[in-house]
Amino acid sequence: MIGIRGCRRSLAPRAAAATLLCTVLGATAAWALEPNEYRQVLGLDSRKLIWFLAQVKLFFAAFVLGVPLFAVLIEYVGARTNDAKYDKLAHEFTSLLSVAYATTAALGGLFAFALYGLYPTFMGYMTGIFRDVMFLYALLFFAETFTLYLYYYGWHWLSSREPFSRNVQWIFKVLGIAALVLTVVFFLGGFGPQMRGDTRAFMALLYFLPVAAGLLIIRDRKGVHIFIGILLNVAGTAIMQIANSWAGFMMSPVGVDKEGALTGTVWQAFENVLATPVAVHRMLGNMAFGGLVVGAYAAVKFIGAKTDEQKAHYDWMGYVSNLVAISALIPLPFAGYYLGREVYSVSAVMGNNMMGGDFSWTFIIQAVLVGSLFILSNYYLWTGMTRIPGAERYYGYIKYILGALIVSFAIWLTPHNLPLTGAEVGQMGGGQYHPTLKFMGLMPAKNAVINLIILSTFFSFLLYRRGNKLDAVAISTQGWMARGVIVLAGAAAVYLAGQYAVNLFLMKPAELDLPADRAPYFRVIAWLLLSHCAASIIAVLLALKDRGKLAQNLLMAVTAFNVVLFLGVYGFVVMEKASPFLRNVAVSQFLQIIACLIVVTAIDVFLFRGAREIGRLQWGKIPVRSQYALLALTFVITMNMGLMGFIRSGLRGDWHIFGVMRDTSPWSYTPSNFTMTQMVSLSVLVFMVSIAFMFWLGGIVEKGNAVKDEAGARAPAAMGAGD
Amino acid sequence: MSSAVGKVFGFLLLLLATFLWIGQAVTALTGGEKAAASAVEISPEGGESIFWGKGRCFTCHSMGDRGSAVRGPNQGVFGENFPLPIGARAAERAKERSQKTGQTYTATDYLVESLAEPGAYVVEGYKNEMAIVYAPPIALNLKEVKAVIAYLQSQGGELDLESLEKPNEVSKKFFAKMAAAQAAGGGDPSAGEQVYASNCASCHVIKGKGGKIGPELSSVAGKGAKYIEDSILRPAKSITPGFETWTLTDKAGRKTIGLKTADTASEVEITKANGEKVRVAKADIKELDQDKDASVMPDNLNEAMTVKDLQDVLAYMMLQKSE
Repeated sequence: MIGIRGCRRSLAPRAAAATLLCTVLGATAAWALEPNEYRQVLGLDSRKLIWFLAQVKLFFAAFVLGVPLFAVLIEYVGARTNDAKYDKLAHEFTSLLSVAYATTAALGGLFAFALYGLYPTFMGYMTGIFRDVMFLYALLFFAETFTLYLYYYGWHWLSSREPFSRNVQWIFKVLGIAALVLTVVFFLGGFGPQMRGDTRAFMALLYFLPVAAGLLIIRDRKGVHIFIGILLNVAGTAIMQIANSWAGFMMSPVGVDKEGALTGTVWQAFENVLATPVAVHRMLGNMAFGGLVVGAYAAVKFIGAKTDEQKAHYDWMGYVSNLVAISALIPLPFAGYYLGREVYSVSAVMGNNMMGGDFSWTFIIQAVLVGSLFILSNYYLWTGMTRIPGAERYYGYIKYILGALIVSFAIWLTPHNLPLTGAEVGQMGGGQYHPTLKFMGLMPAKNAVINLIILSTFFSFLLYRRGNKLDAVAISTQGWMARGVIVLAGAAAVYLAGQYAVNLFLMKPAELDLPADRAPYFRVIAWLLLSHCAASIIAVLLALKDRGKLAQNLLMAVTAFNVVLFLGVYGFVVMEKASPFLRNVAVSQFLQIIACLIVVTAIDVFLFRGAREIGRLQWGKIPVRSQYALLALTFVITMNMGLMGFIRSGLRGDWHIFGVMRDTSPWSYTPSNFTMTQMVSLSVLVFMVSIAFMFWLGGIVEKGNAVKDEAGARAPAAMGAGD
Repeated sequence: MSSAVGKVFGFLLLLLATFLWIGQAVTALTGGEKAAASAVEISPEGGESIFWGKGRCFTCHSMGDRGSAVRGPNQGVFGENFPLPIGARAAERAKERSQKTGQTYTATDYLVESLAEPGAYVVEGYKNEMAIVYAPPIALNLKEVKAVIAYLQSQGGELDLESLEKPNEVSKKFFAKMAAAQAAGGGDPSAGEQVYASNCASCHVIKGKGGKIGPELSSVAGKGAKYIEDSILRPAKSITPGFETWTLTDKAGRKTIGLKTADTASEVEITKANGEKVRVAKADIKELDQDKDASVMPDNLNEAMTVKDLQDVLAYMMLQKSE
């Protein structure tokens, strides 16, 4: 154990944080055995104070971690296409990041002080378990800080495209290949501690692979800059994974005995059951959130823009941000499903509390927010079509999409049982359930409509993409790359649906505690999945035969029929006859949807690549109300993050560490939904005001730099004129 | 730009106000936060408060039209599948249970069994996934369990509090199981049996079944939960006499580590941790030492078990009492 004095010396620049760290690192796991001590400051409710600080800190952290993910991607696109506007956009994104970073770190310090000050026993225990990891956590902050500043301040310094010498390029290539080999070996379990498959995949795909790819693309200084950006993301992701492992440990403790004493290894505690599912969910959430916060920035700038040029720039910035966010939003429900399944695997009590207990109505509110997100996304795309010459050809579809969305939204948020007054119950004939609406509140109906919402949004996106395109381009003229990608997409789709079909054919009813005569219900779904595989194969063949639009229509129609119509109805039969199988039906729906999205997107990319255009996109020619949609998206996703945080944290009930350390404080109960909305609203308001202030500060710096650059440019010109 | 910022914050406040209104409306409809339940009596009223509160029964079971959960069987009259409320249904289920087990079950026995061993007789069409209500995180005590049973009895059945105060032989066995689990800090003995089968049964005997490398555990409950927990997590801390670890080195330098299971005039038998028996003639032995700091039992069982596994296996161990 490191002494306080030694630690203070080594971390002198961050004296306050270091003192805190050294103090807590002295703690031991034995604290778990002592009665919990709770403290208050200024007579405030400690739990609410921690809740507020944690939420605001998480908003900032999500922004700081989410933005670099797509800033680097956009910079890479700019470098590949030699299009300076992408590079400028990536730089603008990063400039927003740099001002928020210091605040995030300061909030982190405040949050940590509050935790250690108000919940000393609990935090002492956590420190006792994770003290080794806490060192790593602190060191990773240095890594993130240095890479972020190098990435931002080194932007121009490392912008040269002059290639390095052949030898230097070879060194990076060799290093890249070595890293790639290491990635594969690690992924296959060749080295590293024993771990779950999802943790191994997470680390291989988000740490090893990006580093390998980054090394392989280094050919010039720009490549080095992109590599630094990748390192920044690796450091940020690792920080997030570590913090998530603590949150996961509180929900699914491993490596400790029932009294909390560490009996296993720190690695076991770190790699608890929920650590990686939470990290995957948060990763996607951060990306969507980061994209939308930047989108909100662009929207505000657009609303206040004075010139057409400014409007065009911020319109484009908002569009790219929204696209990033939607790309992360679409897989988010799948990540949520995976997390939910793992919550059930840890504890059925926790799972049931989530879906049917204290949080069942919180999920109704969440349904309102998620439904709003999809409707707003669609609205933004539709208004965006006004800037596309030729898109008016597709306006007729919008009313049908809107109709489908509204009906789906209404079903999506219908509760199963209605809290009614006695008079209302009397008017309904004495039943708690509405005779018709009760079906809308059940899982089969909800699963059907959420998938219809996803399909409809995807359809809007397809219409947007082809707005100004005259004709589709024959796939056969697009070379082997196009054919290869479409075939690969088809193979992925067949694999996704096919492997699950095989699973269902082999599944025994006894595995779900069902009698043997329920096997036919499994087989119906398996055959349905096989029909989807067949549709995917036919779609690929049609696309290769230059009938791409027909292929897309066919696959989307089959998917809509299977997932929405057939399973929407058949789900009720399953619920009645083989209720435990219902969750497998939901998985089959998700798999068919994702398979459809993969194949149709792959075909669409090549179907309109290089197609003749009616006219160029007129950036900036979009109604101002579209920007309010973009803003509303940001506000709603922020509220939703707060709401989901409440559910995740609240699932533990009256346990600090589920099953190991009880919460014996006066605040040991689940707050009401109204309390939740109050706390989340306060956090959202404070975050939005703070981030707006920071963007304003960033704007001052940018203006100052622009004036300096202008003056610098004018001075030599003046000298030249004098000469 | 300042007017743009003003408009945007006005818009934000409007959305937040809507969000607050939704939260307020939902809470007004569904009720606010519930403070921790106070102690209850063994009565239908006490059981009702637990069913719809601390016991979290409502997250899986509805009671007729009350509640919305469908994961577990409805406990009231509901649709074709549930024409009888649980109090009356329990009597029917008890008859079926008597036929299946050969023991005479009363309605109360059936209800007690449903809470003590929910997987024993699952209602057709439902999964064996009911939580163990006397284990964390729910952790009802025996009084609370009895109150819930009284509440279920009162749903169309005969309220029989005496059968809970003075249980018959069938119920007594189930109450003993719950009491043992609570003594072990809460845990599911049935799940613990599975954990035991996977990790322990190859070396230990319970009621005549299992390996003989480790001590018999048929009456281990008498040693107390703390001792058992220590033995699982730190096996070398307290080794049962007769199960010390020996290291035998023969004259060729080969080492064999395990239990000394035979020691005759001519040879010594060492049984290794994997059950393999090695016999070495005394004439060939160079050294035979007892290692007091080591146990044949693996010291990494904690790596194979989660907290829940440990709690479950402890609960199972606490059931192992001499007959």
